Amino acid sequence: MAEPNTDLPGDRLLAYLALSPSIAILILLVAVPMVTVFAMSMQHISLGELSGPFVGLRNFERVLADPAFLNALGNTFVWVFGSVAIEMALGLGIALLLNIDFRMRGIARAVILTPYLIPTVVAVLTWHYMFNDIIGVLNYLLMAVGLISQPLLWLNSTSMAMFSVILVGVWKFFPFVVIALMGILQAIPQEQYEAADIDGASALQKFWRITLPHIMPVFLLTALLRTIWTFHKFDIIYLMTGGGPIDATTTLPVLVYQQGFVDFALGRAAATAIITFAILGVLLAVYLHLMKRAEARQ
Amino acid sequence: MALVEVKQITKKFGAYSAISNVSLTAQDGKFLILLGPSGCGKTTLLRMIAGLELPTYGDIVIGGKVATRLHPKDRNIAMVFQNYALYPHLTIYENVAFPLRVRGFSGDIDKKVKWATSLVGIEHLLERKPRQMSGGERQRTALARSLVRDPSVFLLDEPLSNLDAKLRHSAREELRQFQERIGVTSIYVTHDQVEAMGLGDRICVMQGGVVRQLGTPEEIYLNPADTFVASFIGSPPMNLISDEGRTIGFRPEMFLPESAFDPSEALYRTEFTVQRIEYLGGDRILYGMVGASLPSSKAIARLPATIGTLPEVGTTAKFAMRLSDIRYFDGEGKAVEQSRRHEARLVVNG
Ligand SMILES: Nc1ncnc2c1ncn2[C@@H]1O[C@H](COP(=O)(O)OP(=O)(O)O)[C@@H](O)[C@H]1O
Ligand SMILES: [Mg+2]
Repeated sequence: MAEPNTDLPGDRLLAYLALSPSIAILILLVAVPMVTVFAMSMQHISLGELSGPFVGLRNFERVLADPAFLNALGNTFVWVFGSVAIEMALGLGIALLLNIDFRMRGIARAVILTPYLIPTVVAVLTWHYMFNDIIGVLNYLLMAVGLISQPLLWLNSTSMAMFSVILVGVWKFFPFVVIALMGILQAIPQEQYEAADIDGASALQKFWRITLPHIMPVFLLTALLRTIWTFHKFDIIYLMTGGGPIDATTTLPVLVYQQGFVDFALGRAAATAIITFAILGVLLAVYLHLMKRAEARQ
Repeated sequence: MALVEVKQITKKFGAYSAISNVSLTAQDGKFLILLGPSGCGKTTLLRMIAGLELPTYGDIVIGGKVATRLHPKDRNIAMVFQNYALYPHLTIYENVAFPLRVRGFSGDIDKKVKWATSLVGIEHLLERKPRQMSGGERQRTALARSLVRDPSVFLLDEPLSNLDAKLRHSAREELRQFQERIGVTSIYVTHDQVEAMGLGDRICVMQGGVVRQLGTPEEIYLNPADTFVASFIGSPPMNLISDEGRTIGFRPEMFLPESAFDPSEALYRTEFTVQRIEYLGGDRILYGMVGASLPSSKAIARLPATIGTLPEVGTTAKFAMRLSDIRYFDGEGKAVEQSRRHEARLVVNG
């Protein structure tokens, strides 16, 4: 067999040279913090210090035995799956509606997308104001139409606070789902629907047999991205409730923050962060596996 | 099986008329071809018959029933799209079974699917997905899907245009045999005149949203209704020569050296200066200028290989055609009718 053509001498060097700035930045931004956190999770770090004596897995033991951790874990799952499920369902519904040709469609699209463009702080402050028990517009409206007889404690009751932050999160991020799904909906060839019309399919049958299979890969990918992002979403919850009332909305990232910057137990905070990371990792592995199976079936 | 009548259909997209006052009838069990250049409105007309588009004016009647406003599924038609529009996520089996399933067919779906797929010869590919099929196999799948529920009308929009030339030829042959076997009214859109001549019981030649001529392939070839049809059909097309506000036309294969004719025949004689000869194997195409009794203009002759003596390039030779092979068109390009032809001929000869 003939010798394959190889790179010219110097090609390889040039390639590494060209890549080196990116590699350096990646090391600085990703590898260094990760190694640091990993190292910190195995040290006992006192107040005011950034390192301390090596304690092995003691921090992990303490975190896992702490009821606050289990509570945060449970809250995280409610927060993530509650938010993503509602975002995906709402996003799909609205994308399907916006895909119908109607007058004002352009305006409707622009309006739908605005929450995504409003800075989180502004959005949270506005919602905070609307959620207010006494002067909030939400209670006022719901009472005016007679849906409730007493003001709801949107953020100040342990039973409602999680629902309220999920509401804000969904409001802020469902437009992302709408954008993603609208793109793929428009890519479905119109002839598929016309053929189905002639074949005699109903609207529901067209949705199941044509629309859903077409959008499924993008739908799953969007759900995956939303899951990751929602999992370590911190600002909305922290700004809305600070993790409260008591610990009703304390998710894992909020717990890490509290352990690190309220209790100043950096070692434990690092351990919690790594456990969080591991859980997310497992979640993603399961998810990617499911996605591969779904794609193989296509 | 059904008669399809298109009655004074006009279709406007905004201010633009894609179809203007078209009327035609697709006869029961016959193959009607809609032939015309790209953009002449063939697809639009077919889509109105299918119910995918509402005519601006006029009516569609299928099997004696006004269908203008009927939903596509209630017209009992089947359509094969130009790119087949198979459902990419379903297997071939499920693609073909789809029309039966969605209509809640109560009989043996499996038997019907096997029947339809074996008619087009894809019964061994049922577990595949459309993307694992060749163009020809996809086209057959689309056919099987459309015939599985016994439609009374078949609509086909350039179903062979995505196939390569060789496959197109055999697919055309199969399609024709297939249509004859199941004997269903078929309306077939194409821009390819060879396909149209080979397939059609009748051809409807369209241009710019209007029907130029409706007739059998022979009628259209031998007696084109106007200069558009004359120049659109035939390869090379009919020679058209303007003369004093009229146009005379003759087919290149009817225009031969004078020696090729029997001297007793009624001939029209002229001179032909050959400029270029194209060798096609069976035939030779001669490009050149006619002169003498006709106004000097470009013309083409198609000589079968049986004619031994060829004029050389650059020389002028005596050529002729039978008087009966000449067609006459008036100032607007419309064919001059049989009864008036005699008169017109005298003018040319005089
Ligand atoms: N939905 C539409 N909106 C506007 N114009 C259209 C539409 N569909 C077709 N047309 C126009 O109508 C004319 C005929 O189109 P079509 O029927 O597709 O031609 P053909 O199939 O003969 O190539 C074209 O000029 C095309 O641009
Ligand atoms: Mg077309």
